[in-house]
Amino acid sequence: MRTLILFLLRFKTLFLFLGLELISFWLIVNNNQFQRNHFLSSSNVMVGSVYSLSDKVYKYFSLASVNATLAKKNEDLNTELVQLREQLAFYRQDASYAGRRYHSVQNNYSFITAKVIHFSAVNQKNYFTINKGENDNVKVGMGVVNERGVVGIINSTSSHFSTVMPIVNASSKTSATIKGKTRLGQLSWKGKDLQHATLEEVPLYIPVTIGDTIVTSGYSSTFPEGFMVGKVSSFTERNDNFYNIRVRLAVDFDQLSYVDVIKYQYAEEKAALEKRKGQGND
Amino acid sequence: MLSCVGFLLLQILLLNNIKFLGFITPYLYIYFILLLPSSVSKEMTMVWGFLMGLVLDIFCDTLGCNAFATTFVSFLKPYFQNFFGPKDDFDDMKPSIDRFGFNMFIQYVAYLVLIHHLVFFLIEAFTFSMFWYTLLKAVCCSIFTLLLILCFEYFKAKRR
Repeated sequence: MRTLILFLLRFKTLFLFLGLELISFWLIVNNNQFQRNHFLSSSNVMVGSVYSLSDKVYKYFSLASVNATLAKKNEDLNTELVQLREQLAFYRQDASYAGRRYHSVQNNYSFITAKVIHFSAVNQKNYFTINKGENDNVKVGMGVVNERGVVGIINSTSSHFSTVMPIVNASSKTSATIKGKTRLGQLSWKGKDLQHATLEEVPLYIPVTIGDTIVTSGYSSTFPEGFMVGKVSSFTERNDNFYNIRVRLAVDFDQLSYVDVIKYQYAEEKAALEKRKGQGND
Repeated sequence: MLSCVGFLLLQILLLNNIKFLGFITPYLYIYFILLLPSSVSKEMTMVWGFLMGLVLDIFCDTLGCNAFATTFVSFLKPYFQNFFGPKDDFDDMKPSIDRFGFNMFIQYVAYLVLIHHLVFFLIEAFTFSMFWYTLLKAVCCSIFTLLLILCFEYFKAKRR
């Protein structure tokens, strides 16, 4: 026991150092969503590489059956494509359909104007604070836009203030689509540059050109359909049949002053319904 | 104590808002750690560094990152001070250009600032995949911080 205490005393500087660094590391991993996700995923890289190696070996044994399945799938998809083209032509004729839907969407949303009072543009985890809170009916999960386009999502609220996770936050994920196409993509931010984000999960069969407009999809109640996100500034075709689209964001995050929080009239009703449906499946 | 609060306020209210060329922010607050006199024990230096980093983290939403980097630098500081500082034995020696000589002082500050920034940005990015970008950022920010420290030293020398 005595020797143990002597040992600890002798290296007290080193132990204090290690102790403080451990506390810091614990704080980092526990409190920052970005680092936590990364910590888990990087440990998964090792697991993944082992599996992919074994997978490579197994693949050769099943090539014939894989080919047959693919041919069948191709046939199915071609049939579906023809059907969808016919449907599309049908809907294009019915122009009032789109107008009606747009109108109903317009009526169920209202806006709460707020002023940006603090923007901490630290490198990966950007947040900003606005001067409206629970007293003004701002709730977690509501969308935030300004006159140029989509800004972000309410992250937490107090009675008079709220923090917003902008789309330029490494943890932010927003579904968006190319204007005129229905296929969804996921908008995320890779760090580095406040003016560009990345749109992924858009498959290669959809034609994309530089300058195409990216808008919100309207599938979640956070943003109504058709809000401006940005324009395609460049894109690359990846090996896995998806695009990697670089999006020039419409909002200038260096000059945020006033923003509008979007309130969906039936948000609670919709959430309750979707929750009930989830329970039914269990 | 007063200068500690002063450096923290300067960092939080002013320097964190500087984003020169979009990504260069000086982290001047570790200057306080570098200036601690040699009479402050190694353990106390580390506690100071940890607390300063923690306060800054709370204000910047980077919980732990600054604390980690600053504790690391506070751990190294006494050794660097012995290496670069004057070899004759002073009881209470406050690092400065006068005591160290210009060359040695610049090296002492530059190495520690660079180490701090590198550790901070690596922890903040939490990956080695953007290593060269992180390195570039750390070097650029270090140069900026170093220039600010030189300004401070210049005014201190002038006042005397």
